[in-house]
Amino acid sequence: MIQVQNLVKDFKLTRKIRKEMGEEFKNRKTLRAVDKISFTCHPGRIFALLGPNGAGKTTTLRMIATMLKPTSGTIEVGGYDCQKNPQKIREKIGFMTGQTALYDRLTPYEMVKYIADLHEMDSSVFESRKDKIFEMLKIHEFANRRIARLSSGMKQKTSIARTIIHDPDVMVFDEPTTGLDVMTSRAIIKLIRSCKDEGKTVIFSSHRMGEVNQVCDDMAIIYKGSLFFNGGLDKFKSEMTHETFEDEFIHMVGEA
Amino acid sequence: MRKIITIYKKELKDSLRDRRTLFMMIVLPLILIPGIILLMTKVQMAQAKKAMGKEIKVAFIGGDFTPELIQMFAEKGRIQFIKDSPVDSVEILVRRGELDGGVVITSGFNQLVSNDEQGTVRVIFKKSDDAFGVLEKRLISTIEQYDQQIVDKRISRLGLDKNLFNPIDIVKTDVSTTREKLAETAGGFLPYLFILFTFMGAMYPGLDLGAGEKERGTMETILSSPASRLEIVLGKFGVIMTAGIATALISFASLNVAVQLFPEIPVDILDIISSMLGVKMVALILTLIIPIAIFFSAAILSLSIYARSFKEAQSIVTPLNIAIIVPAAIGLTPGMELNKITALIPILNVSLATKEMLSGSINWILLSEVYASLIVLAGFSLWFCVKWFNREETIFRN
Repeated sequence: MIQVQNLVKDFKLTRKIRKEMGEEFKNRKTLRAVDKISFTCHPGRIFALLGPNGAGKTTTLRMIATMLKPTSGTIEVGGYDCQKNPQKIREKIGFMTGQTALYDRLTPYEMVKYIADLHEMDSSVFESRKDKIFEMLKIHEFANRRIARLSSGMKQKTSIARTIIHDPDVMVFDEPTTGLDVMTSRAIIKLIRSCKDEGKTVIFSSHRMGEVNQVCDDMAIIYKGSLFFNGGLDKFKSEMTHETFEDEFIHMVGEA
Repeated sequence: MRKIITIYKKELKDSLRDRRTLFMMIVLPLILIPGIILLMTKVQMAQAKKAMGKEIKVAFIGGDFTPELIQMFAEKGRIQFIKDSPVDSVEILVRRGELDGGVVITSGFNQLVSNDEQGTVRVIFKKSDDAFGVLEKRLISTIEQYDQQIVDKRISRLGLDKNLFNPIDIVKTDVSTTREKLAETAGGFLPYLFILFTFMGAMYPGLDLGAGEKERGTMETILSSPASRLEIVLGKFGVIMTAGIATALISFASLNVAVQLFPEIPVDILDIISSMLGVKMVALILTLIIPIAIFFSAAILSLSIYARSFKEAQSIVTPLNIAIIVPAAIGLTPGMELNKITALIPILNVSLATKEMLSGSINWILLSEVYASLIVLAGFSLWFCVKWFNREETIFRN
């Protein structure tokens, strides 16, 4: 489970950034990327964080993954506080982005083994889990080829394998389908669904309304760091005053 | 510790598969050092030989006043006398390169010399065109020989003892050993080379493991793993340092091979050079290279982590070369010695201490000062690197 309470994240603004951002930020020393947001993601359910670019989705997910420290507020992942036990949280999560984020000079086998070693997985456990995942994703045929020489589909499969090799309880997907072709996007969506079926806690961010509608159980709409909606997908649909997700979203944030 | 080793092993494997790193770490010192030494010496020797054997074109003005001198020049050979040039034009012709030199003998030279007086011989040459001093040596040494002949004749005519004009017999006794002399000449160059290669070897893996990782998006992969920031930094840092030290060691080995391959070096000098570059000496120099490699690795990694891309990292780290070359080059200055102050200046102290080690005259108190300053510098740079890596503004500067 992920519990986020009154989460705030301020970024320091350097003089150069202030200048680039224009008059509005001229005298501001910080930029609030996330502003007092709260939500809960439950095991066996898919939680979507929906918002346009720059809304604060990635910052929120990075705080959940303990890459960034909150300015205030709390995050608990699997019962561990992100400030007090960041390492325990990182042991429990699998983090994946739209970028494959792989080492080009390694092979898929070496890449997955590296992550498994960082999780200090027992070698026999690793071998059986690796075989299962490689079989499922059909990685065996290119497992010993350098990643640089793989197609984008093969790379994405490798990226999935390295994310789930340690069998994490919590899956964090940061815009996982951005920039991917239809086939690869479908594979990712399939992975998200299978994680749910396995009873994992899944949170994913997206700016695509259709995608959210397709997979999520619960959702939060974030815009300029603030939450505009937090609840079940069914509740959102029932409260919609516009025909499409897009129109509803624009209507919602347009009021802000 | 297990995670540090995991990161170290992976980063090492990754770096060794990078052609740029391999080139800087192995190929460059292996080819460059013997290449530079052999090429430079061969070219220099060939040029000197060519200059010595070259027929020089010299204007002789007033040669009629001293046929003996002309005869001496003629006996030495490889000289073409130009006798018709007007006096005023000789300087101009030498400056233009149309003549190699000029000898102007003042009128009445023979008369003056016969009267036991002093005659003047003016030698015109262009030093900037005479890199090996051959022309100056060939002209002046012959005139000096002629001068000595006249003096000898005068002394014998007067029935005087030669020692009358040489009251002091200066006997020069140089107590420096061949090893010390070698250390003074080549000793400055060697540490310069090793410092530079340590830096060059550390540079590419440093750029790749920091900025390269950011650019590829793999930084998030490792940051979301159970490894702590400290473990990540130490794993990466270890590889960068290994690359730097390995490059320095390869350059040592390469230099050793290059020296052995060089046929013109006399056997006794070769033995001294071999002992200077022997295992014991390498181990001793390595104790200086390790802390400096820590400093380089931490500095490169810090800058690399700060950069947004590999390209930006390159543009930040490249000027650092100058900061390293300058103190290392100061160590090459003749007369520059290790003292209480220079022992505290990073890089310069390594350069000077290595020079002393090679000459075999180590001042252990100053050397411990060097170690102390290097350990403090290495410790501080590593501490800074870890702290820097923990800053969100550095890691997520994008």
